[in-house]
Amino acid sequence: MINIDVNGRPLEVEPGTTILQAAQKAGISIPHLCYHNALPPEGSCRMCLVQIDGYPKLELACSTTVKEGMKILTNSSVVKDARKSVLEFLLAEHPPDCPICDKAGECKLQDYYEEYGLFESHYAESKSRKPKQIELGNNLLLDRERCILCTRCVRFLAHITKTGELGVTERGIKAEIDIYPDNPVSNNYSGNLAEICPVGAITDRDFRFKTRSWFLEEKPSICPLCSRGCAITIAFHPGFTRFDLPQRVYRIKARENQAVNGAWICDIGRYGYSFMDENRASKIRLPEDGGETDWNQAVDYLSEKIMRLVHMKRTDRIAVTVSTFLSNEELYLIKKIFHEDLGISKIYFVDPSEGSGDELLLTEERTPNRRGAIEIGFEIIPPNQEALAETTDIIFVFGNGINDQVENAVEEGIKPIDLKVLMSAHKSAAAERFDCVLPMSLTAEKSGSLTNVDGLVQAFIPALEPLGDSRPLWAILTDLGRKMAIDFKTYRKFSSTADIYRELSREIPFFRK
Amino acid sequence: MNRDYSDSARANIAQILKRYPNKEAALLPLLKLTQREFGALGKEEEKRVAALLDISPIRVREVVTFYTMLNRTPVGKYHIQVCSNLSCSIMGAESLIEYLSKKLGIHVGETTPDKIFTLSTVECLGACEQAPCMMINDDYYGHLEPKKIDEILSRLS
Amino acid sequence: MDEKILTSDFGVEDSHTLAVYRKRGGYKALSKALKKMKPDDILAEVKAAHLRGRGGAGFPAGMKWDFIPKETEKPKYLCVNADEGEPGTFKDRYIMSHAPHMLLEGIMLTCFCVGIQTAFIYIRGEYEHVARRLEAAIEEARKEGLCGSNILGSGFDCEVIVHRGAGAYICGEETALLESLEGKRGNPRLKPPFPAVVGLFQCPTVINNVETLSNIPSIVLHGGKWFSGLGLPEDGGTRIFGISGMVAKPGVYELPVGTSLKEIIFTHAGGMLKGKALKAVIPGGMSAPVLKADEIDLTMDCHCMLEADSMLGSSAIIVIDQDTPMLEVLRIMIKFYSHESCGQCTPCRIGTSWIHKIVQRLCRGEGRREEIDEISRLASNILGKTLCPMGDAAAMPILSIIAKFRGELEATVEERRTEIQ
Repeated sequence: MINIDVNGRPLEVEPGTTILQAAQKAGISIPHLCYHNALPPEGSCRMCLVQIDGYPKLELACSTTVKEGMKILTNSSVVKDARKSVLEFLLAEHPPDCPICDKAGECKLQDYYEEYGLFESHYAESKSRKPKQIELGNNLLLDRERCILCTRCVRFLAHITKTGELGVTERGIKAEIDIYPDNPVSNNYSGNLAEICPVGAITDRDFRFKTRSWFLEEKPSICPLCSRGCAITIAFHPGFTRFDLPQRVYRIKARENQAVNGAWICDIGRYGYSFMDENRASKIRLPEDGGETDWNQAVDYLSEKIMRLVHMKRTDRIAVTVSTFLSNEELYLIKKIFHEDLGISKIYFVDPSEGSGDELLLTEERTPNRRGAIEIGFEIIPPNQEALAETTDIIFVFGNGINDQVENAVEEGIKPIDLKVLMSAHKSAAAERFDCVLPMSLTAEKSGSLTNVDGLVQAFIPALEPLGDSRPLWAILTDLGRKMAIDFKTYRKFSSTADIYRELSREIPFFRK
Repeated sequence: MNRDYSDSARANIAQILKRYPNKEAALLPLLKLTQREFGALGKEEEKRVAALLDISPIRVREVVTFYTMLNRTPVGKYHIQVCSNLSCSIMGAESLIEYLSKKLGIHVGETTPDKIFTLSTVECLGACEQAPCMMINDDYYGHLEPKKIDEILSRLS
Repeated sequence: MDEKILTSDFGVEDSHTLAVYRKRGGYKALSKALKKMKPDDILAEVKAAHLRGRGGAGFPAGMKWDFIPKETEKPKYLCVNADEGEPGTFKDRYIMSHAPHMLLEGIMLTCFCVGIQTAFIYIRGEYEHVARRLEAAIEEARKEGLCGSNILGSGFDCEVIVHRGAGAYICGEETALLESLEGKRGNPRLKPPFPAVVGLFQCPTVINNVETLSNIPSIVLHGGKWFSGLGLPEDGGTRIFGISGMVAKPGVYELPVGTSLKEIIFTHAGGMLKGKALKAVIPGGMSAPVLKADEIDLTMDCHCMLEADSMLGSSAIIVIDQDTPMLEVLRIMIKFYSHESCGQCTPCRIGTSWIHKIVQRLCRGEGRREEIDEISRLASNILGKTLCPMGDAAAMPILSIIAKFRGELEATVEERRTEIQ
């Protein structure tokens, strides 16, 4: 371990740590623009210069490794002046775009000016005019006036995606970021470019001009669109009091998780969030409910229908179709209720077809919990349509939350069945064919856990409120379990997903990690 | 225009590629060779060189646009590059540039309509003892004055 | 002391040919080294010679070679810095044109000493004819077994390759040179790691100036102590002083380290041109802070120059006369640095361009004298904060002109302003 002193505070750090990293660990922030912890240090913005006792010049915190006994000052007047001078240089050529720039409110230049700048402009020349909407590809736009040439974008494409579409052309003050004319940015991680740009130089059309960063709240969640389980942040608008907005979720951001996705997410996860707000099922529908019903009635109704078959010892007439979109807790409850309590063997899976994975994050499986389903003990088999039609009186279909694939898959065999129950997050034409429709909450609207492709179990908490009458599936199933009272003791214990998980891990060693 | 490299150029290219342990290091010499062959380094030439080295064309453009002596558009048969740095300016480069500009009938940065002469100013050529001086294509001319410039230009055209 | 090491063959007909070089004693050092000396012997002599780098930084050559790791599995490289872009400098052009074999011999001695088998001469693109001369010399030497494989039957191999630049002053900075040689933009690298450990193609690399290496043959032949004795205790040998500007006999003059600046200007270069009076002297290439006419009583060695708040740099002397406005000098300087800025780091990229815009305005008569303070402030904000030394190279001379010629600058600014009104 190496002993250093930062602003008078002794610190002990691993050899090979940079001053910036050491300071971060100690909760001291050193401003930086071109540095990104997932990319090799560049050292060109000069914002992170700090003072080291005994060194003649200021040194970069991002790329200077600590040495035994180093005494570092991150806030001396010399350091503050240096920061001011770097900011002044950057702002000299920077356009006064804040009122129309999407990055406002989360812009490093704004933040640092507020914290370390606050000087009068001395720039008496005319600012160079440059193109402000260069198409980079994948709906990304480059504003060259705003660009501070930190080259994070270039380096991301060079080191992370290794696709290298962006380069720096020209020299000196004329240097600019550019693509080759017929070779735009076209990889599945391009959205990260807009996120890592410290200013509003790279923006994406998905977010441009839609809202302001300070209107959005952010909550952590996990992306459910493949089995990587990338950590995401859902940025949503809590809504205005006087009028409605067309959407809650305005964007998805990457959330750092060194064990899973590092600092990145793919474009499928980043831009595929419309399912959270669009076309949501929000009302309970029971046969002959007169348009007005509630969850108690729904659970009573289902329980009664099921228990009748239980008393006739004909639970073999019940079938379940589910997807590996559901959480560990929900799949466990399905196993407990339908397989253990009711002795049902007809449990089928309908999942979206696999896509191509890549070497970075995206997996071929496009559901988040296939591994979880397997570890819980399910065999992932698709529905047997003939068996369904002949042998089933009640079918429970649990939708996948993204589209109506599951409910559509059982269309053929389903018509003869007496009672068709659909629990789904979305409206669909297929829903019309069901007798009972219960609105389900999404991953983003509930708590629980998912098991990713590498077997890592990840817990998540709600980011959004459930829409309309929708409820998390684990809560619906817990109520059903209690109501059926085949094993009331167990279900009575479940008042949170943590309770369910505790039981799950008690039963299955895999989940004890 | 779908010209290809001449045979001698191809031979040179092969030699150049052998010189370096990493083939990317051949980029600058290949660009200079290609510029001599085709007159300038436009998109076609960038892609040619990119193919020779199996690198992405944007990497080639990054280099082409960095170096002063690599031209993206053709220059005249004779590229007159007058030094405008310190010793040459002390010794009267500015008036010589004006003289040349008037004589050729073009501004700095332009090419004569017959495409024979292009006039540029450049930074220090490393011939300050002959100030004021200029470079025409590969050749240096120093101790310049209007009469000498007249002689040089008439010899060339 | 009239010892001429580097320029002894200048003026001799066909001095650039192998035949003439050999007849006049060339390649004796290489022969001696390969037959009778060990690499460590050569290193000892170079250290004893107190040979400082002649490119601009003045770093002791022996110490630099010592930084190369002794134990390494990677190939080692020598890069000869023949980029000679520092305004006012032309000495290396003379050496390479008139004594290319001396440089070649120096290269091979260096490679033998450090254990290098491939040397690249990075020569600026404008020196096309000089590059061809070097290539011809290499071929001549190869034919005679003096370069290439199994040199002089010793088993020592050394390839020398000429690599041309394409017009970028920044490629004279050693790490930018490496980047350029590797086929990339000439962007300087962060140090550490230093080129001696991570250099060309990530391998240990020595980078030396043309003149520095051209001294090695004589050091090997006559010994380091002899070389050191020609100059000053920590700064040995002779240097080629290039002098240009408003003097009667601009050119190259090889003189001992520590020669008086006044002597160079007034004795060797014949003093001011007729009718011209001395106003200022740049002693070591444009990046060296300027000296006023009453400040030139100095000796040309690293230490004295540093004490005088300037630098010996590339020992390129530019003599400025009373009729050249310092505002013009300022304009030419900042035009140069902003044009040559690679653009990587914030202070240099934006700072040099900002200063350039202000100075252009002042020259056009659209400025005020107070703006000279602004230029000073901006230059101070560049100083010490850039990724590579070019920031300082831009800032220091500008600050020195403002410090020493403020009165004249302000007067010129006011003059131009009234002119356009």
